[in-house]
Amino acid sequence: MSDETIIIRLRNILRDNSAEERDWGHVNGETTMESLGIDSLSILDLLYDIDQEFDIHLEGSEVIDMRTVGEIANLLKQRGA
Amino acid sequence: MALAVLDRSSPSSALRFSRRLADLWWLVDVRRRRVARDNILRAGIETDPTRIRALSRGSAQHFAMVVVESLKSAAVLEEERWSDHIELKIAPDVMAVLEDPDQGLIMASGHYGNWEIAAQWLSRFKPVAGITRAMNNPRVEALIQRRKPRYRFHPIPKYAADPGRFLAVLKDCEILALLTDQHARSGGMQVDFFGHPAATYTTAAMLHLVTRTPLCFAACRRIGEMRFELMTSPLIQHQRSGNKKHDVQVILGALNEHLETMIRQAPDQYLWGHRRWRD
Repeated sequence: MSDETIIIRLRNILRDNSAEERDWGHVNGETTMESLGIDSLSILDLLYDIDQEFDIHLEGSEVIDMRTVGEIANLLKQRGA
Repeated sequence: MALAVLDRSSPSSALRFSRRLADLWWLVDVRRRRVARDNILRAGIETDPTRIRALSRGSAQHFAMVVVESLKSAAVLEEERWSDHIELKIAPDVMAVLEDPDQGLIMASGHYGNWEIAAQWLSRFKPVAGITRAMNNPRVEALIQRRKPRYRFHPIPKYAADPGRFLAVLKDCEILALLTDQHARSGGMQVDFFGHPAATYTTAAMLHLVTRTPLCFAACRRIGEMRFELMTSPLIQHQRSGNKKHDVQVILGALNEHLETMIRQAPDQYLWGHRRWRD
């Protein structure tokens, strides 16, 4: 899967788990999780949806300290996305 | 002075005294009495006004007794004598997880029976982390903190209770104890409780689905003076359907059904004074 595809699919998941009103088309690898309204309370939903979308099980401890969309995308790439 | 009496008395005397204190409090706290009455009616546990009052009063007495039992829990949990005080009805698959040092466990329960005795006894197997809220009365809270044995029970203050903390507990293969019967102010899901939708925190279900840590329901019911029955359901190991809301609904529904069953066995051991349904 290309990096761009990973970011697009990840963006869709983040949009579904965020209460933020924004132009999601501009979300990229540099975008911070905090700016998307993704906090520790929404991390569980995020992990579930990532598992469903990519068929990759990520540990909460791996994701919880990640700051940007790109960091999560890189991890998914490493795991075979 | 009342606390000093409780602290210095034998368990029997302290329990009797606490029930009398509870009676006084029950008479004075009209608001909570009304909440209890409405909840008991809504749950369909009782319909006769006299029996509702008796149950409401019994519930107040029960929670005063829980405070005393927590203060005196060293006697219950003492290494050689615990079996005089606790009867076990732990499902075999739950016991296997308790005995496996490489496996965490999510234990869900409600404000029923004495969950603190349960958490502290279970910490014999592996550390238990649970969310705690300080008592409203700071003197009672200080007394409890001084007297209550902790064993390997690690309280998580309510203000620090977040999924990141819970994930760390499970990663360390510990037991995470969650009471799931509080009104979920935000981020909750409507799940039937005694046939009526109640806003319920999804945390226990989501943690199970995401971490694949086994989940069970547990309860510790009083069966006599300083005697308890500790039970668990079999493990809940839900297979994901891909529909997150459906999965969470099924798991929380199962947990609520277990809690309802226990409440029907001893309805006076439930916290009827909490506004569970907020229409």
